[in-house]
Amino acid sequence: MRLPKSAVEAMLAHAREGYPFEVCGVFLGGSGSARVEAAKPVVNRETESPRVRYQIAPEDLIRIQREAREQGLEILGYYHSHPDHPARPSETDRRVAAGGLSDGVYHVVVGVEKGERALPTAWVFRDATQAFEEEPLEVE
Amino acid sequence: MAIRVQIPAPLRSLTGGAGEVEVEASSITGLIEALDAKHKGLKDRLCDPSGELRSYVRLFVNEEDIRFLNDAQTALKAGDTVAIVPAIAGGS
Repeated sequence: MRLPKSAVEAMLAHAREGYPFEVCGVFLGGSGSARVEAAKPVVNRETESPRVRYQIAPEDLIRIQREAREQGLEILGYYHSHPDHPARPSETDRRVAAGGLSDGVYHVVVGVEKGERALPTAWVFRDATQAFEEEPLEVE
Repeated sequence: MAIRVQIPAPLRSLTGGAGEVEVEASSITGLIEALDAKHKGLKDRLCDPSGELRSYVRLFVNEEDIRFLNDAQTALKAGDTVAIVPAIAGGS
């Protein structure tokens, strides 16, 4: 997947500022495209364990989806942070993706070490294997 | 009664790539059946084997969550828009 440098910087800053809690957001772009136009932060609605869990409310998603459609864009994928945890999808991430509608959807996981060093990795979920496959993350 | 249904990207392989389709239905239950009749396999993606909506799938009628309306019995009228929205969650 391809992201403009500004979107990567915004996402990493969001992950650092949110530390030690998980943060999350969506990627917007043209339909069927692998190129992200913008990364948009979304409120983490997880209330019980926000240090190790995130949740994007469907109410937030539907609003973002409408606003995106009005601009000719749509949701291409999602990002979330892993404070002091590896920058790769967890078993929880895999289980939720497998239970939902995630085939072909991009996910970026940002590992944040001690609130400072933030490392993003990109993945795409495949229903066929029920797993995330790592995807090259190209910064433009 | 024509209802517009917004299809998220992961389901478009079942709608020939269409991001929006129209079906005739007067309730959510009828809508899911009508969708499956036109686009085989959609019901399996939206519902579990007992026919209940999967826990990570949400349906909205004119941006109102059907859980706050009348769930699967929510009535539909011509011109309504139904959106299929994934529930997104996870963590480390």
